Amino acid sequence: MKRIIACMMILVVAGAASAKVDLTTVPTRDTVQLTIYNSADLTLVRESRALTLKEGANALQFSWANTLIDPTSLEMLPKAHAAEIDIAELVYPPRVKNLGLWNVASEVSGKVPVEITYLTSGLTWRAFYMGTLSQDEKTMRLQGYVRVTNNSGEDYENAQTRLIVGKVHILEQIAQLAQREYPYGRPGQVGPRPPMVAAPAPRLKRAAMRELQAMTESAPMVAKEVIKEGLSEYFLYTIEGTETIPTGFSKRLQSFEVEGIPVVNLYKYEEERYGDRVVRFLSFANDEEHELGETPIPDGTLKVYRTADEQNHLAYEGQSSFKYIPVGEEVELSLGAMADVVVEPTLMEAKTDNYRFDKDRNISGWDDIETWKVEVRNTRAVPVKIEILRNFDSSYWDLARNGQIDAFEKVDLDTVKFTIELAPRSKRTFEYTLTTYRGVRTEDWTRRSR
Amino acid sequence: MNGKRLILLAIVVLLAVAPMAQARIKLVALPERAATVIRLDNPNATLIEEERVLTLQKGLNKVDFSWKGVQIDEDSIRLDVLDHPEGVNLLSVSYPPGEAALVWEISSGGDFAETVRISYLLRNIDRLITYKAIADKAETQVGLRSYLVLRNFSGEDFEKARVLLDYGEAFEQGIDHEETKRMLFLKAPKVPIRKIWTFDAAQLPWDPEKLENRNVGIPVSYRIVNDAASGLGRFAMWGGKARIFQDDGRESTIFLGEDNAPLVPVGEKMELYIGDSRDIVVTQRKMKDARINLRKNDASRIVLYDTDELITAKIENFKDSPAMLTMIQHIEGQWDMKECNLEYKRKNAGTLEFEIELPARTEDGPAVTELTMHYHRRNVRTR
Repeated sequence: MKRIIACMMILVVAGAASAKVDLTTVPTRDTVQLTIYNSADLTLVRESRALTLKEGANALQFSWANTLIDPTSLEMLPKAHAAEIDIAELVYPPRVKNLGLWNVASEVSGKVPVEITYLTSGLTWRAFYMGTLSQDEKTMRLQGYVRVTNNSGEDYENAQTRLIVGKVHILEQIAQLAQREYPYGRPGQVGPRPPMVAAPAPRLKRAAMRELQAMTESAPMVAKEVIKEGLSEYFLYTIEGTETIPTGFSKRLQSFEVEGIPVVNLYKYEEERYGDRVVRFLSFANDEEHELGETPIPDGTLKVYRTADEQNHLAYEGQSSFKYIPVGEEVELSLGAMADVVVEPTLMEAKTDNYRFDKDRNISGWDDIETWKVEVRNTRAVPVKIEILRNFDSSYWDLARNGQIDAFEKVDLDTVKFTIELAPRSKRTFEYTLTTYRGVRTEDWTRRSR
Repeated sequence: MNGKRLILLAIVVLLAVAPMAQARIKLVALPERAATVIRLDNPNATLIEEERVLTLQKGLNKVDFSWKGVQIDEDSIRLDVLDHPEGVNLLSVSYPPGEAALVWEISSGGDFAETVRISYLLRNIDRLITYKAIADKAETQVGLRSYLVLRNFSGEDFEKARVLLDYGEAFEQGIDHEETKRMLFLKAPKVPIRKIWTFDAAQLPWDPEKLENRNVGIPVSYRIVNDAASGLGRFAMWGGKARIFQDDGRESTIFLGEDNAPLVPVGEKMELYIGDSRDIVVTQRKMKDARINLRKNDASRIVLYDTDELITAKIENFKDSPAMLTMIQHIEGQWDMKECNLEYKRKNAGTLEFEIELPARTEDGPAVTELTMHYHRRNVRTR
């Protein structure tokens, strides 16, 4: 609140050259709304102020030293008497930094509410989550939090805070625009200046703490609700009431809490991707069946705990980061490589067959035949689901399988997926024989498959 | 004119009595600049026209024109005589060594107070155009405003000048050196837009499952047509940065994104890329790629073959509203489609464009649309 200064000046025009400037009022900010993005360092600030205008030419001076405002984004709109007030131009005067001058022609005199909007950087937010698995690992309690951080150089008091989930396209970083010597750059100048971090405005930490404490004491004792709604390709989270976030401070707010989400302990094995380790995932869907599905879940990190005993002591299972999850999509949260579920493919037999020769008696084709045994062991006390992906070096192949497989799928032209569901502390073995066609033998494969 | 910085454009009239060697001795008379025009219709250069009254004497006159602290394209300087074009002739222009100056040799048929127009290209003064569009909640139209940003870093103060763009009325504006001014110059309250999602198989990853915890964003654009039906169409819209906002239905807006608008002639359309959608997910896979119709040489080497290829794409719409997805597929070389379950337009030899209507998601989950392309590439030669 301390650094953005707006003041009204009435220009008494008596010939442009001898304009006399009178400073009349310094209106304060009445309300402020922050719309903070997480995919870019970008916040839309909307504030309302009441100006005292005089009939005729008025000039409003707005300055923003030590903030991270993009001066090209500044805009002012009258909220009353719109037809009688003409905001003709915004002037960035020469040799004055961080200052704009609105020339306003008014047919009314008196108080006029206006809305000033601009983009700033330095305010950020991120989502993070805590998951707590039940003892049997069949369900999870999921708590979502948002953490809003203000490094903008500006204190925002009693601001309505809104958070945007979505991937916004911007051409230049707001922080860079805020550091430009001239708001729109200058002709003949090539390339932007290297970004600079705004020097934190000096302030007494103790005073800020007191301020924050005073705010906290007056706050209601109930957690705030977060209203969520979709707009275009974005999701808008509006935090109930207003927030005060002095510069330099962060604030953590709970965005949702859901009990009893059914989860599947999913393990994946794919040598080309994870090596010879099995990677654990927690799988559920962002839908009604899983007590979710009201809104997308913003990307963030998740710390997973498990209820370890009857006294509700916790065990830490691991950390995962996940991507944005639209409503209705399945989620797979990676908890990293684990040793308690084992997949061991073993080559049991390798042979060649069906040789073909050309007219010079050189080899022109053959089959590679490999038989693999795959042993899958679950050493855990809970049931697990395991997906085993096998990638081949050719798209000319046949596969014969043997043993109990719960699902088999050809993923693409050279990948297959075996799915196995294992009871606690159990193991299973299956076999498959892969015939890969080489040279002219591919022609036989093609003839057959057409 | 600001006297503190040495940026003045000085015109000195020399009497033609002195021999050439003494021509650099400057005499008095510094005529005032009268009407000044700043022409900004060419995006690459700014033309300044200024009128001055020269006191000419019958016979040969030398007029010295010099500048300091400004960058003038010397070859662009012109002098036009306005009052007595018949009687006053520009004979030659000479450039003194090592000086930002030139000397006009003018013959005059009489003693005239002659109005002349001097025009030249001045560097470091220009204009930018920016756009601000506010879309309605339903994303069917935008309120479009365009701003003219005048930037003057020429070294010259213009107290009062007529500013001319390539359309519209000229307006009077003063602008000092190092000053930037932003003015609203176009307001179109209801411009229809079309929202477009585009998946280009050559630009975006095919299989999102293979990306570790990353979403594939499907680019989203607004399409605006510069025509009368849009409330536009009076002139070409200049290129510039466009910032797009959306009305949130609560007397506020959110920022949707920004893009560089290209120059859009009348009747043409512009597409503004605002951001990426993560609520439409495309999973594309190649299910088959086999050589067929093989031709071999005497050594049994394959020299020519066709291919039998199958591509599938699963398009999931997780949005609670329908969407129109433009899908671009590429097939190189000579090809023919054996089977394709969705209609497409062949944009060029190797590019297929699908316009796919995606229904909204239902309670059962995302709306799924499948594309299957089964095609042969013909006459593929081996090396």
